[in-house]
Amino acid sequence: MTGVIEGGWEFVWAAYVMTGLVFLIYTASVLSRYRREMRREPDHQEIETHE
Amino acid sequence: MGDVYRIFYVHVPTAWNAMLALTFTFIAALMFLIRGDWKWDARMEAGIEAGVVLSFMLCVQGAIWAKPTWGVWWDWDPRLTTTAIMLFAFLGILALRHYVDDPARRATWSSVATIIAFVDVPIVYFSVKWWNSLHQMQSSPETVSAAFHWPLRANAFAVLLLMIGWIMLRTRTAASRLRHDLGPPLPEPAITPEPLPGGAR
Repeated sequence: MTGVIEGGWEFVWAAYVMTGLVFLIYTASVLSRYRREMRREPDHQEIETHE
Repeated sequence: MGDVYRIFYVHVPTAWNAMLALTFTFIAALMFLIRGDWKWDARMEAGIEAGVVLSFMLCVQGAIWAKPTWGVWWDWDPRLTTTAIMLFAFLGILALRHYVDDPARRATWSSVATIIAFVDVPIVYFSVKWWNSLHQMQSSPETVSAAFHWPLRANAFAVLLLMIGWIMLRTRTAASRLRHDLGPPLPEPAITPEPLPGGAR
């Protein structure tokens, strides 16, 4: 017994793949909603959101 | 800890940025209530959404970390419980924003709810100090080996940049929708109609 957890790569992969997937899906959702909103208002007057 | 320690590189930056997004949301809520400026309402909506996504991922990564290290996917330990409360509180505010049609009520109610829900954020942070938690103490450059500093910082900045991008785009989307909901003032007629000769209409 060394106190070190052996293996566990499947958990590491699961954490990284799920994080990447969720971030990717959310980014796509944000972009898609932004584009849809901009198309809805082609003469989009900027509300002062200088982020 | 072994190889599973690599989860730390994605879990800790997610935690830092989730708290940062929710702190931004709290500031936006305060600013809206103080100044009544709709820009802050749009920013608040964007911040809540980014904070909820990051908090959700925080819980998922935490569960994946917990299984090999603690032997269970979930435990009602103070850190995990307060994080779950934080996630569901802000999820509730998103639901509130979705179901309230009147923009003024939506903004005011969600600002007040955000300020109340934010009380849990410092509790999440300090829970591992205040209570005898199964969760380890907060990670910082002082508590981790020097070899971990660079990858941890790189990931933290990567998630930070992503979060800033989300908040910027979501703010613009929310602001555009808000302008539509509020109904822009009717434009002034470009030309004042002049009476036709002979009084004809």
